[in-house]
Amino acid sequence: MNKLTVALLTTIAISLPQVASAADKAGMEKKDSYRFVIIPKVVHPWFDLVNDGAKQAAAVIEAQTGSKVKIDYSAPQQADVVQQNQIVESSISTRPDGIAIDLLDASGNRASLEEAIDQGIQVTVFDSVPPEGMKLTSIGNDFCEQAEIASHRLAELLGEKGEVAIMMGVPTAPNHAIRAECHKKVFESYPNMKVVATGIDNDSIETAQKQAAAIMQANPNLKGWVACDAAGPIGIGQAIQEAGKVGEVKMVGLDNLPEMLQLIRDGVADSSSSTKPQMQGYWAVMAMWQQSIGIETPKYLDTGIAVLTKDNIGE
Amino acid sequence: MQPNPFLSVLRNPLVGVFIALLVIFVISAVASPYFLTSYNMSVVARSLAFVGLITIGQSMLMMLGELDLSLGVIGGLCGVVSGMLMINLGLNPWVALLACLLLGAALGCFNGLMVTVLKLHSLVLTIGTAGVFGGANLVLTKGVAITNIPKEIQFLGRGDLFGVPMPFVVMLIVLIIASFVIMKTPFGRYIYAIGDNTPAARMLGIKVDTVRVLVFTIAGMLAALAGLLMVTRLGTAQPSIGETWVLPPIAASVIGGVATTGGVGTPLGAILGAAIIGVIENIIVLFGVSPYWQGVVSGFIVVLAISFDSISRRYIRGDR
Repeated sequence: MNKLTVALLTTIAISLPQVASAADKAGMEKKDSYRFVIIPKVVHPWFDLVNDGAKQAAAVIEAQTGSKVKIDYSAPQQADVVQQNQIVESSISTRPDGIAIDLLDASGNRASLEEAIDQGIQVTVFDSVPPEGMKLTSIGNDFCEQAEIASHRLAELLGEKGEVAIMMGVPTAPNHAIRAECHKKVFESYPNMKVVATGIDNDSIETAQKQAAAIMQANPNLKGWVACDAAGPIGIGQAIQEAGKVGEVKMVGLDNLPEMLQLIRDGVADSSSSTKPQMQGYWAVMAMWQQSIGIETPKYLDTGIAVLTKDNIGE
Repeated sequence: MQPNPFLSVLRNPLVGVFIALLVIFVISAVASPYFLTSYNMSVVARSLAFVGLITIGQSMLMMLGELDLSLGVIGGLCGVVSGMLMINLGLNPWVALLACLLLGAALGCFNGLMVTVLKLHSLVLTIGTAGVFGGANLVLTKGVAITNIPKEIQFLGRGDLFGVPMPFVVMLIVLIIASFVIMKTPFGRYIYAIGDNTPAARMLGIKVDTVRVLVFTIAGMLAALAGLLMVTRLGTAQPSIGETWVLPPIAASVIGGVATTGGVGTPLGAILGAAIIGVIENIIVLFGVSPYWQGVVSGFIVVLAISFDSISRRYIRGDR
């Protein structure tokens, strides 16, 4: 054995335990403080619930570990991918311990997310699908399943026949697009049901109301509605009430905003197929915390879907 | 008596907005350790570049006494058309970019011709054309982004030149050219003359309509340039590009001393105004301002900035 081989083997022998101990040390070093950034799609009450969940997680970590945890919540004023990217990039400047983002458009957000990772900042996505090929932890629910629950329930309410309409949300948002597609497939599976109109509300209650009112005017035989975002069903509910068609036009809503729950209590909506925004915020912070101390996190965390009806939403 | 050089500098109309920007810079640098980092400066510069290009075009139109509310959607439409040419039709990316610059110029020219030939009010006309161009964008894309923009052109949006982001370099070049044209050429003087007093400009023999159409065309081309640079930045042609580029360029121009009635202002002043807005947008995130307070905070700083400019104009430069 020559000297070079001996030297190499000695180096490997010395470094192996160090590599092993580095892996073992993940999560063993305590930090005094953490700061995580939550970036939603837009200023919207649904995301306030995500923020509530994030703050709860921060309080839990503080209580259990004694480390200070700060949540910076920074939302675009409009659902615009350019504006959202600017917020991501400005947030990178502040060197947080992690960024959790609800992507407006996976491909359009990609460059900014790559920049964050290049700068050594961990990124987690919630309520959306990560850009193709990027290994990011994603927190949310099965968007297709959520839509299928709503559209099957509407079909059941209508006796599996009649004209229905879909409010599509933001067409470029992947989760909205997935829901729209799955709604359509479900209705196609019922031979006596027909999707006669689709509206685009861009996650705005006001736009949803206008679109729904116009669609109901143009389609007097319309019997039911489903939606693809949280704002949509609230606007649809207002339009149904204003048109005096409560009971005549059925709706199965989406998510659990207070207005949605009130529509269910008032009998304007039958029910809602709801994501769990607080849980998404909570686990987004937990995932970022784990990543920041070196622990590998799962590819996907499913927060599940709740079917909200008059019987289980309380007063 | 020799004029005091210090007072001469203070009397420059850009001094007020420049000092306002400087004050915001200093306060931000003191209040946030992250503000002056090279990374953050490049973030601010890059985001300024896109709105800045539209601002240059809009400020030239405002000097003329016109407005084009469709510039943002022209940027978005040209962006998605470039994506379609490159991806769906397989056109050479550089040819596609050039074609879409010309498309932007053509759309701007269309606005200009409608204003001059049909004597339409530019504000009202461009509300309509913004709807048409924005609608065309949705018809072409069905709201879905065009992905896989070729890597060979992505350096235009993502790259840098000696650490300065490429879009900012492009905007600086455009600003220098626009400033030269406005300040040093007869064409620039015609713009001021038309904006100041159109009938008098006509009597002087200035081809008012030709100048108007040309400025609309230039503004359309700059909007297209902004949209194309954003496509190369994102690596995708997003249908939503330009949706937020409508009001900030107008606000930036007004903050920068461009009169909405025409005849007053410079593209440089407008860019300083855009820089104030850009820095405010950045520090709002750095300071962790609640999203519900962002409008209040940014609006308040803008009011402070234009008040400061007004006060400096009255008491330092002696304008009345």
